[in-house]
Amino acid sequence: MDELLADFVAETREMLEQSGSELVAWEADPSDKKRIDTIFRFVHTVKGNCGFFDFPQLEKLSHAAEDALAECRAGRREPDSSLVNAVLAIIDRISEMTDAIEAGEELGTGNDDALIAALDADAEVEVQSDVAIIDEEVEIAAAAEPANDTKSDAAPKAPAKGVQRSIRLPVDLLDEVMKGVSDMVLARNDLARRLREAGEQPAIDGPFERLSAILADVRTSITRMRMQRLEHLFSSLPRLVRDLSNELGKQVMVDFEGSEVELDREMIEMVRDPLTHIIRNAIDHGIETPAQRLKNDKREIGLLRFAARQSGNQISLVITDDGNGINVERVCEKAIANGLYSRSEIDKMSDKQRENLIFEPGLSTAEQVSSVSGRGVGMDVVRSNIERVGGSIEVSSKPGEGTSFHLQLPLTLSIIAALTVGSGDQRYAIPRSYVEEIVFGNSSHVEFAQAGDRRLVTFRDKRVPCLSLGEVMGSETNEQCDWTSKTLILVRLASDDVFALAVDRVFDHEDVVVKPIAPAIMETRLYAGTTLLDDGRPMMLIDLPSIAQMRGMVGGVRSKPTIAEKAEKVEKSKAVPVMLFAGLDGRHRAVRLELVRRIDTISRDAIDIEGDRAQAVIDSEIMTLAGHDTGPLPDGRCRLLRLSDGEHELVYAVKEVLDAADVTDDVVPSEADTAIEGVTLIGGKPIPLLDGHAVFSRYRATKKVEHSLTCRIPEGSEWARTILEPLVQAAGYRIAGEDDDVEADLAIALAEDGEVRTSGARETIRLRPEPEDAGDDTIYRYDRDGLLAALKRIRTGRAA
Amino acid sequence: MNELLLMCTIAGRRAAIPAVEVQSVIEVDNITPIPGTPDFILGLTALRSQALTVIDCALAIGLEQACTSKDQRAAVVDIDGHLYALLVDEAHDVGEAKSEPVAVPGGFGEGWQRAARGMVETDGGPTLLVDIEHLVSGPLRQAA
Repeated sequence: MDELLADFVAETREMLEQSGSELVAWEADPSDKKRIDTIFRFVHTVKGNCGFFDFPQLEKLSHAAEDALAECRAGRREPDSSLVNAVLAIIDRISEMTDAIEAGEELGTGNDDALIAALDADAEVEVQSDVAIIDEEVEIAAAAEPANDTKSDAAPKAPAKGVQRSIRLPVDLLDEVMKGVSDMVLARNDLARRLREAGEQPAIDGPFERLSAILADVRTSITRMRMQRLEHLFSSLPRLVRDLSNELGKQVMVDFEGSEVELDREMIEMVRDPLTHIIRNAIDHGIETPAQRLKNDKREIGLLRFAARQSGNQISLVITDDGNGINVERVCEKAIANGLYSRSEIDKMSDKQRENLIFEPGLSTAEQVSSVSGRGVGMDVVRSNIERVGGSIEVSSKPGEGTSFHLQLPLTLSIIAALTVGSGDQRYAIPRSYVEEIVFGNSSHVEFAQAGDRRLVTFRDKRVPCLSLGEVMGSETNEQCDWTSKTLILVRLASDDVFALAVDRVFDHEDVVVKPIAPAIMETRLYAGTTLLDDGRPMMLIDLPSIAQMRGMVGGVRSKPTIAEKAEKVEKSKAVPVMLFAGLDGRHRAVRLELVRRIDTISRDAIDIEGDRAQAVIDSEIMTLAGHDTGPLPDGRCRLLRLSDGEHELVYAVKEVLDAADVTDDVVPSEADTAIEGVTLIGGKPIPLLDGHAVFSRYRATKKVEHSLTCRIPEGSEWARTILEPLVQAAGYRIAGEDDDVEADLAIALAEDGEVRTSGARETIRLRPEPEDAGDDTIYRYDRDGLLAALKRIRTGRAA
Repeated sequence: MNELLLMCTIAGRRAAIPAVEVQSVIEVDNITPIPGTPDFILGLTALRSQALTVIDCALAIGLEQACTSKDQRAAVVDIDGHLYALLVDEAHDVGEAKSEPVAVPGGFGEGWQRAARGMVETDGGPTLLVDIEHLVSGPLRQAA
């Protein structure tokens, strides 16, 4: 409730500030209608808000002022200076009370009655003598004076109370700052590119890294500034639930969980309406009357639960009621009666699909159209609203036990997860939520067919229409399109329609900041927005649903049951997803899909093998290569699986990527081969499953994300520069430059130099020129093992 | 009324854009084309962290010939919250309008007639005052 109160105080303050100038203007010209309206709105709002809280005095004051002003507005009373004074005194008092509320003090009775009386007096003033007016003014002045006194008392007290200090800012200003930070990030990226081109420059790289880190922090804070706790949304719900349940003669209790989860302000506003609708439905249709509940062995008070959780950049919100559940039978009947589906179509559906029928347009199960729900605004609107902001909604229900709605919402409206693809010589972004699977066109499991002018692709016994992005964008025609060289993206739309989109290349997945585009571009209906690449070039975000619709990929209601059968199959296999591939020796193997970050294709030249060492160069990065020892590398292009254990990455050479599959059978461990976890059955064939742990431990992967420790080495010594430096670097240290003022993690000093400049480091290793042990904790400068051991000890000590 | 105008050349003709509308004049170097858009939209270009829609003024007016510009000068304008870069042949100086925009009997010729708010007198002689909102919606929208 505190949160609400703070809101109330902030809102009242804001209005006070705004009405300040209005008050002055009104004072100058009491008959000014516009001013009266503004001030009327203010006291009216205060009065309304007081209803939520227990502030009878405040309510009484604002109510009295509202009455007087309403008279004026209605023309029954002429505003004059005495009325203006009386209203002003009341507004001062409201401001003073607001301060007291914030500081948590008693409001004090003050001279409220006198203030109110001053308002009423007016009618008599006209007939009474002037003296009376003066009296009143004195009274008002008297009332105002103690008010001022308490005010000056209260002011210093308020912050002392430890009220969390906050200010209100216009969202525009926030956006401005956000834009500034985005600019800085782009400038930083540009600088980073230039620095990379210029080569290693320790003196610049260090501060630059610091700058990057700070910038990242600032960016996070800015994003958080736009966030609001879900509490804001939740706090308005108990009242709504109470009103609704009273109206419908039901008893409902509300329970919240995860109100500390934060969400983009705009997003909160966007889900408010859908959420309200779900609540209305739950209370109206879901929760039974107390009598019925008792009959069904339930508590007579129904329970409505809201649980929010954050997972990555998604928020999941679950709304559960313990009512009667969805009457699937009735929903189905209604769907048939309204001509949405035929009986046979309904029969083919899974239970889940039948439940999800409630999201179909033109369906309302309420027997009677009540004032609460069933006013033609159905769950279809809820779904489309949620999907418009990039979220999704699902329902699950158990007859007699209740219904839950599962909402998935992106954290912000403006950042979405996207897949960047190339077509022609352009890059595009595709919202990742639509992407179901990515398949190579030349994979042996993909077959192309043609029906009329429509390209079809058959993949895993499923035939789906195929579109070429190049053709959609007008850069090539279907005739000249070389389908097998393409990469196919299987797109599943919210309507459950699937089609394949052929692109030249899939680059990466990244979170992109989406900006709106000009109306003239919107008219093409191909794009949903634009985003900037790291190098500052714009990239278009493709509007898949719109393209699908233009190309007739949205099959409409009738085509859905064919996919229904497939959906059932998927549900049955709850299993470990793996990726099937053929190793260089041609044998089929599998690797856990979670390990695979992406698939790279590089030319043979980029692979370097010498003895036990094998490395591949991908995007000017050197990566450890594994899997090359199983057979000869292909001559032309090599396909590599990029495996990641979260921290390290390595690439695994394969002959061909076959398919994704689910392991449902047991994995039988193999004693003989330590490189595999075991053997499992996939599609009736035994397939060895690659042991991720073994691969990573065997090919000590290059550490990708590492904060390297810095080491200061003796300056001006040729031996240190030519012999020591490479050794220290190989041990995983970064050599600190001479001008580097930061504290190094380690310093190496030569014993013969005495005590020189070792103060700027946390640890020091001292080297002596003679092999004999001098007993002073020094290490002989050519004692390689001893030195490496010391370096390792310090490094592991630091990292821990 | 002495309205300030950005003097420029569009398709070889003297034209002017109200200076209050112009945020800046930039040289457009990298344009990312957007497939599927009408001719007059050349693409997007980035100005700091913002994407500008680049409009070829000559094509937007409905002329056959695109702007021929050596240094790719463009005026940056904000219309309904969207930023546009209006590419012109040449952008000159800011000058003062010496008269109200007036219509000329017989019109300014096809295309120009639709996209111009009228003719104004300036130091450099009569100049067509361009309606930028017309420019960004292009010739096609007008025909529809």
